[in-house]
Amino acid sequence: MSTFEFLLQGLAVAAQPMNLLYALIGVTLGTAVGVLPGIGPALTVALLLPVTYKLDPAGSLIMFAGIYYGGMYGGSTTSILLNTPGESASIVTALEGNKMARAGRGGPALATAAIGSFVAGLIATLALAFVAPFIVKVALVFGPREYFALMVLAFVTVSSAFGDSTLRGLTSLFVGLTLAIIGIDQLSGQARLSFGIPDLLDGIEVTTLAVAMFAIGETLYIAAQGDKGPDKVEAVKGSVWMNAADWARSWKPWLRGTAIGFPIGAMPAGGAEIGTFLSYAAEKRLTKHPEEFGNGAIEGVAGPEAANNASAAGTLVPLLTLGLPTTATAAIMLAGFQQYGLQPGPLLFATNPQLVWGLIASLLIANFMLLVLNLPLIGLWVKLLTIPKPWLYAGILLFATLGTIGANPSVFELGMLLAFGLLGYVMRIFGYPIAPVVVGLILGPLAEQQLRRALAISQGDLTTLVASPVAVVLLLIAAAALIVPLILRARGRGQVLSQLAASED
Amino acid sequence: MKHFFLASILAGAMALPAFAADYKIIAPANPGGGWDQTARTLQTVMQSEGISGNVQVINVPGAGGTIGLAQFASQDKGNAGALIVGGYVMVGAILTNKSPVTLKDVTPIARLTGEYEAIVVPASSPFQTFGDLVEALKKDPGAVSWAGGSAGGTDHIAVGLIAKAAGVDPKKINYIAYSGGGEALAAILGAQVSAGISGYGEFESQVKAGTLRLLAVSSADRLEGIDAPTIKESGLDVVVENWRMVAAAPGLSDEQKAAVSADIEKLVKSAAWQEQLKTKGWQDTYLSGAAFDEQLAKDVSATEGVLKDIGLVE
Amino acid sequence: MTDGNKPASATRRPDGAAFVIAVVLAAIAGVIFWDVSRLAGAAGYSQVGPTTVPHAIAYCLLGLAIWTAIEAWRGEFPARERQEVAPVVWIVGGLAAQMLLLKVAGFSISTGLLFALTAAGFGKRKLWITIPVGIVLSFVIWVIFSKLLQLSLPAGPLEHLFF
Repeated sequence: MSTFEFLLQGLAVAAQPMNLLYALIGVTLGTAVGVLPGIGPALTVALLLPVTYKLDPAGSLIMFAGIYYGGMYGGSTTSILLNTPGESASIVTALEGNKMARAGRGGPALATAAIGSFVAGLIATLALAFVAPFIVKVALVFGPREYFALMVLAFVTVSSAFGDSTLRGLTSLFVGLTLAIIGIDQLSGQARLSFGIPDLLDGIEVTTLAVAMFAIGETLYIAAQGDKGPDKVEAVKGSVWMNAADWARSWKPWLRGTAIGFPIGAMPAGGAEIGTFLSYAAEKRLTKHPEEFGNGAIEGVAGPEAANNASAAGTLVPLLTLGLPTTATAAIMLAGFQQYGLQPGPLLFATNPQLVWGLIASLLIANFMLLVLNLPLIGLWVKLLTIPKPWLYAGILLFATLGTIGANPSVFELGMLLAFGLLGYVMRIFGYPIAPVVVGLILGPLAEQQLRRALAISQGDLTTLVASPVAVVLLLIAAAALIVPLILRARGRGQVLSQLAASED
Repeated sequence: MKHFFLASILAGAMALPAFAADYKIIAPANPGGGWDQTARTLQTVMQSEGISGNVQVINVPGAGGTIGLAQFASQDKGNAGALIVGGYVMVGAILTNKSPVTLKDVTPIARLTGEYEAIVVPASSPFQTFGDLVEALKKDPGAVSWAGGSAGGTDHIAVGLIAKAAGVDPKKINYIAYSGGGEALAAILGAQVSAGISGYGEFESQVKAGTLRLLAVSSADRLEGIDAPTIKESGLDVVVENWRMVAAAPGLSDEQKAAVSADIEKLVKSAAWQEQLKTKGWQDTYLSGAAFDEQLAKDVSATEGVLKDIGLVE
Repeated sequence: MTDGNKPASATRRPDGAAFVIAVVLAAIAGVIFWDVSRLAGAAGYSQVGPTTVPHAIAYCLLGLAIWTAIEAWRGEFPARERQEVAPVVWIVGGLAAQMLLLKVAGFSISTGLLFALTAAGFGKRKLWITIPVGIVLSFVIWVIFSKLLQLSLPAGPLEHLFF
């Protein structure tokens, strides 16, 4: 049978009514747990995997796919509505998405996230089916020096989340980098900045920091405005649905996000967050509405959300073709696959085509069910914002702490949540941007480790960093991304300033 | 009132399938790792075999399992329904992290599964045999880079033992630590490093596909179905086993300990557990009682020695 | 974050709070230098060892501290909104209560308190209503997530009453 016939056969099985129902249950359960801040797809899948064991292989595979996609998607809803990222890959979504929700455009934000996720999931799953063996070859070219160059590029893009002051943006970034040092140094096994506290040895959990800074910091800030702040958020201004302009501004970011997210997800040390950072930066550079960035630009939701989902499918490339679990989620999926008698590895596509194509068909169906479940719910979700402030924020804190407790029921973790919440509050008072802190915490260790690995392998030869064409190209792009805007700004300083003044009105 | 009503119906529905003792299992790691999978497999089998009606798995991640261990030792003292999963990695982590709580502070019940280390090179590598690799290591230890798991973990310890046995200063090994098995495997496949070391299961499918060359395994005797010599055969006296175990809480009476041991024995003997071992590719290395305690003591002292040699423990 | 409606130039005088930030940044740099000094700098085969990156970050923090001090001196920080202290105290109290009571009182009671105190921070001060509401809500959530979805949430006396 040809590739295409296998896929059609898989789709025919997956589209049986019972299997569609399993997919819907899987997506619902996955979304319900994945929506909790701090509980990412890894824990969601680990918790719910046993539920699938009771079904026949086809049904359990499809329910599993539903749980996976539901867990991936759940995080973006809270990001947009409550400014509480469910997992590290939806941090960027909160930047623009929540601003949109505040402005009564939560409906279009959720819609572009859902449809973008669907489009990205669809394209990336098909790419997984047809070009996986090729992509994986490219991914293996990436060694420590190439990753280091990629991290440098990612660092440059952080500046797009700096806000209006370079000083405060950089300070935020370095606060994040400082937090990133905390814990056992992976390469030497020594504890840094841990002060003998065992709970600090594993470093600061990204989701704890993100939930604290975004959700708790924000809650404190809003509460401290007393009666001055806006009394109630207007949940729906204009249409709850995307209008023509929204569509026109969304479809390109969806495709670009997919193109960025999929290969980065396929890289063994890429990670979904990096794709979302790069996508956000790209959209900010390419948009025709730069003044809207920071105030709720739909491109800033559409692109990163597509990148996030595409990289989730990308993660499956090394997993299926090499048996390489590159994320915690993938490691759990590997355990799940083994349950179904699927032994991922280089020979999988040859020895077990039926199951592989069954899985890919299940992913496509699950992706579709996600859309079916979420589009009708958007109207309901945005109503959440009409809850009076005391109850809304009490609920936000309830869910924020629920996620943290569920992931790790430790008093110390809650203490960190409180401490970082206060830090986030103080930073808000003084106008420091929050996102660079989280970005620094994510990128800092990656960049440091890859640099040190590269140098250890070359036994200290610095030229190794530019000894590969891929690394050189990435570093050149980074340099261009850093220098070009500086030149443009120097030339058009007056215009930019007047624009800023206009946008602040 | 409605909620309470609903809740009590739920409560009734859930109380129905109550068999024997309830267990909670601490997996001192994040979801996805070996300990988490071991804990969740224990959970599945205990429930399906009717050993326990209600088993809960709790992840307490951190610092090579020492955080979970410390919490377990203090909070579950005397609780016969509490178990913790652990393993050889914990032995090393307790030493490198200077953990105040050690395996002496819990009640080890049994070793459940184990895995041997495998040393591989990319198919394109000039090293054809383990002997070639050791020769290169002797000539210039820095030129041989090893990709493996976290610093001070089983893989690192094994490389230290190999260097020591080959007469090379273990401090001189060029060990590149990776966080997950997957990332290390990618580096080996991409020929970014000279050699790789990890549990055999990580490499199995690559070795079968011919993209990696298996040079040696760290068992005492050749393993069934694996076409590779042992490290011992090449003249280096190194045997490393990465085992996983289950331990009970401290402060149990002898009867309580016997009851837990009996439950675990029943589990290990069950067809469902054997089936799980087969699908997951885990070796059955069940060992309990005094024999396990003895083995544990031996591992602890050997590990302490080599970690000092590598320079991770003063 | 850019709610400052007044132009910053209205208050061009040294900014005391911003000076404090500069001092804090410098202090963090100091802590990094101190902590890293006791590490074995053994870099292995890479000349970038476990101490190099922390040092680099600490120097940058010192630079940022100086820069912050200069901007503080010139009064270039954006104008700040007046903050009400009471709501912050309520909410921080709620989070602290939840943290301290979680292990003893279980999820529902401790989280119910957090819920009520947060609502109090936003003006709903009728604790005799909000605390029970919070506890019931938390209990329902506990049942859903702990019993149906197998999430491990700490149980206390209230949870043990029913399960």
